[in-house]
Amino acid sequence: MSDATVSVNPIKRVLSRVDWGYLWYQIKKSPLTLGGGAVVLIVLFLVIFAPVFATHDPNAIDLRARLAAPGWEHFFGTDEVGRDLYSRILYGGRQSVAVGFFVVLVAGFIGTFVGAFAGLIGGRVDVVIMRLMDVVLSVPSLVLIMALAAALGPSLINAAIAIALVRIPIYVRISRGQTLLIREMSFVTAAETFKASKLHILRWHILPNILSPVMVQATLDLGSTILLASALSFIGLGAQQPTAEWGAMVATGRNYILDQWWYSAFPGFAILITATAFNLLGDGIRDILDPKQKAR
Amino acid sequence: MSFLNVIRRRLMFLILVLFGVTVITFTISNLIPGDPARMIAGDRATPEIVQNIREDLGLDKPLPIQYLRYLEGVVQGDFGNSIRTRRPVLEDLRIFFPATLELALTALFFATALGIPLGVASAVWKDKPIDHFVRVIAVTGISTPAFWLGLLVILLFYGNLGWLPSGGRIDPSLEMPTRVTGFLMIDSLLAGDLTAFGSALKHILLPAFTLGFVHLGVVARQVRAAMLEELQQDYIRTAKANGLSRFKVVFTEALPNAMIPSITVLGLALGDLLYGAVLTETVFAWPGMGAYVVNSIQALDFPAVMGFTVVVSLAYVLINLAVDLIYMAVDPRIREVS
Amino acid sequence: MKNSHWFQVVGAAAVTVGMAVNAPVAMADGDADLLVVAKASDPQTLDPAQTMDNNDWTVTYPLYQRLVAYDVSEDGKGLTSVIGELASTWTASDDGTVWTFDLASGNAFSDGATVDAAAVEYSFNRLMDLGRGPSEAFPGGMKVEATGDMQVTFTLEQPFAPFLYTLANNGAGIVNPAVEGKGDDHGTEWLSANSAGSGAYMLTGWERGQSLVLEPNPNYGGATPEIEKIRVDIIAEAAARRLKLEAGDVHIAESLPVDQLDALGSKDGIEVQNYPSLKVTYLYLNNKVAPLDNVDVRRAISAAVDYQGIIDGILDGNGVQMHGPIPEGMWGQNKNATQYSYDLTSAKKALDVAGGASEEISFLYSDRDPLWEPIAIATQAYLSQLGLNVKLEKLANATMRERFDTGEFGIATGNWSPDFADPYMFTNYWFDSKRHGLAGNRSWYSNDKVDGLLQQAVVSSDTAERTALYGELQEIVTDEAAYVYLFQKDYRIAVRDDVEGFVFNPMLEDIFNFGGMSLSD
Repeated sequence: MSDATVSVNPIKRVLSRVDWGYLWYQIKKSPLTLGGGAVVLIVLFLVIFAPVFATHDPNAIDLRARLAAPGWEHFFGTDEVGRDLYSRILYGGRQSVAVGFFVVLVAGFIGTFVGAFAGLIGGRVDVVIMRLMDVVLSVPSLVLIMALAAALGPSLINAAIAIALVRIPIYVRISRGQTLLIREMSFVTAAETFKASKLHILRWHILPNILSPVMVQATLDLGSTILLASALSFIGLGAQQPTAEWGAMVATGRNYILDQWWYSAFPGFAILITATAFNLLGDGIRDILDPKQKAR
Repeated sequence: MSFLNVIRRRLMFLILVLFGVTVITFTISNLIPGDPARMIAGDRATPEIVQNIREDLGLDKPLPIQYLRYLEGVVQGDFGNSIRTRRPVLEDLRIFFPATLELALTALFFATALGIPLGVASAVWKDKPIDHFVRVIAVTGISTPAFWLGLLVILLFYGNLGWLPSGGRIDPSLEMPTRVTGFLMIDSLLAGDLTAFGSALKHILLPAFTLGFVHLGVVARQVRAAMLEELQQDYIRTAKANGLSRFKVVFTEALPNAMIPSITVLGLALGDLLYGAVLTETVFAWPGMGAYVVNSIQALDFPAVMGFTVVVSLAYVLINLAVDLIYMAVDPRIREVS
Repeated sequence: MKNSHWFQVVGAAAVTVGMAVNAPVAMADGDADLLVVAKASDPQTLDPAQTMDNNDWTVTYPLYQRLVAYDVSEDGKGLTSVIGELASTWTASDDGTVWTFDLASGNAFSDGATVDAAAVEYSFNRLMDLGRGPSEAFPGGMKVEATGDMQVTFTLEQPFAPFLYTLANNGAGIVNPAVEGKGDDHGTEWLSANSAGSGAYMLTGWERGQSLVLEPNPNYGGATPEIEKIRVDIIAEAAARRLKLEAGDVHIAESLPVDQLDALGSKDGIEVQNYPSLKVTYLYLNNKVAPLDNVDVRRAISAAVDYQGIIDGILDGNGVQMHGPIPEGMWGQNKNATQYSYDLTSAKKALDVAGGASEEISFLYSDRDPLWEPIAIATQAYLSQLGLNVKLEKLANATMRERFDTGEFGIATGNWSPDFADPYMFTNYWFDSKRHGLAGNRSWYSNDKVDGLLQQAVVSSDTAERTALYGELQEIVTDEAAYVYLFQKDYRIAVRDDVEGFVFNPMLEDIFNFGGMSLSD
């Protein structure tokens, strides 16, 4: 698809423009951002190398060792069919992190293009697109996601698609707003007088300039997407057994919370730590890349 | 822009939202594989019984016809009958909506009562430990899975300490106060029933805390941002130069002005809380719309799901309208521009 | 409002909070006239002609009376035979198609109206006319007619062996004809949320999602019930139900997980009661889709499941493996039928005969029964030892039912409990090729010989003959491994030890005989 070729260059351009030294200097100044980033790296490392760190096969059942308490044999105990919770939490992180990145990439990509398109074309197309986005935004998002996930059939990938679809309007708004601003700038109007095609303007002028706010939003979205995906799994619309997933583990564990509190406590804690780390990092990066918003 | 203009534009948008929301939810509900008729036909149902129910509910008609019929009803204020409870959806929502609103408002109260002082403190002592602390609280708030936090507070305050009840709105052994507002805490006070009030208050504490915790940070961050902006304004410097105490400057001069932009955030937060209550209600067995809609989705009860979405979307748009109007009323600058 | 008012309100509220928060709340335990039952979810509808859910029947069954009721033995055990409730006597024609019931006098609806033949005729016509789930239990073409003030005659198109027992179903509850005036469609909307019966209790309150209240029917024809108020509390979390039971806030806690019941048994003041039940858990094997359409694949699967491992590991030993489709305690069970056991060698052999199976097999379950998920996970693990590729799908119950009916699945979990004590409830539903799908034959099993046996058995009223017919059938369907017959488990319920007089009947799961129960002090 031509879109793909279009997008490679602007990203490169943006990345080449970033002053990495300055960014690192700013991150170092903020202990919370640094801490968040470090935890993100640790989580990524742990889940990518889950097979190395896991002590058991996450799907191996042992009905004779059900609901065992945390100990040396099972660090975080076992679940209701005797699977090792520590290993399942490691593997479960893969689902959460993968969903986070998937949603942000898909929603960010589609949203950015639709928004830039609407802003560039203007007129009726713009009005129709934006009203549609307004309507989608006023539908209760969780219910929309739940209904969509149920319609697509319960699976983690469908839950991710549902979340991505509902997230698109946010990126459309950001990208359209930036496009409108940039359109009025002198270098774009100059290009227009030279009869540059819309595609050319989109590729060389608009996209490179809207990527920065979009990326800030994307980083912030990672944390909330991980939360949302686990919430869907919690109500049974996400990951399917026997795949380990944090939200689903909390859901099953709630039945045992009185006698085996660790069952839902540990996976829930994993969600909390991961989401917090991504949010701290996103928050910090926003402050640095988007100084206008810094005060917020 | 005048008040009337704003209202007119918002009402036009409302019609659009109503139409859009019903189309979207109707389409999606009907995409969910499964036949509500089979659901209520029960085990052992023969195809004839299923067909019979389908006809009774009008499910045998083509989808566009079903949609038009539905829309026709909605325009006349009839949201159809719930497939699950067999009762008018509006009747069900009338029972469940006040419970959700009471929870959302209490959560909002909790979030602002703690969020505003935290925000102020964090602006006044910018980059000091308190500021970092508020930031951590804020980020933790939006990063906590509410369904999990709910379980933990139940385990602690009910399971271990036995201080607070685990779920429901009121002790079921108590007589329910006469329904006036549908808010148990208010109705019980109106009835002069202190025991009922105490029980309602005890029941709402944990869910409201769980729900409000997420928004506490959002409010604090917004207040902090607005305060920082105000504290840099000329009038503050003038006030300081005139020898006003720091306390007075912060609370009588800067805070009232900083609250104006925060109204938007509060309005949005209320909207979020209304449907964010879905998960919290499930965990706390709070008999509100959230639990109702989750059960309805599971049972493919799409009249109920649509009724919920329409009502919440309407509330969302109306809250936004209210926010805009309040904004115009309190902020002289906006009125002057128009 | 003026400022000063605000201060007064806030001040009053503050004082109230201080006083009210610590106000003592009456405990259920201290009140001998109130019985509290905790269940997991709100009833959906209370109309006996509409509800097909045991969860609703907890409330509806004591609100209504039926022509016949299940008998209770001298020592307080629920029997599978019936005695008259509204009916005093009845006769059946020799060919079993005409049944005449004489009604006992003195029974009245809660509004005082007499329960007469017209009410019985009305109730059955309403049931069949609405044509919802509960109507299925009664033979098609059944005619009901008041042949006297207090006499009703049922005319069937052909003999139906278990007919008398169907009259004890929840759906056969006699409804006050006055509901007709409550609205369209035989007053269904009104009756969904109200009661109009002649049972020992009547519904006096329903706070949606919170609790329902039943109080004695002042015009009840039987002995005045001892308990003055029954409250059904809706408490979704199993953990919360258990804690409330421990605290004495509720007397009976329904549907607690096995693990919690074991922990509860040793607590003071709580009794975990076990009753033999006819409820079975089994797996549907879709006989219509590959590879399960191959009988040897089904045999391989049946031999690859570790029945005892599931019973010990998931049920904590509280169950027995089924021996064919008819459970222990029901007449007609054939002990000579094949009973599979966990034997990987013979499973692999059977799979070799079938030539292997490479297709992905979907395995459906829902959260309706918390045991289904561990069973699904365990079965997937067992079958992977055979190299079978099983994909688990947890669905909403409604979606799962759709798939049963359209046959788009491989394996699925199911529970089955009979409405009346006749093997018919198992054999005719599970194996009749006319009942493919949701109607009961969830395995989509077809066998002409079996169909013939079923047809012969249903019109015969000779128990010995029927036993022989069903015996032959069981040998066929177990050999052909139509289902995986997993286990039959006891009905277990946790109650406070001051609850007396509860009679469990295996036909009436989740139903309590409130009218005969009492609370000791």
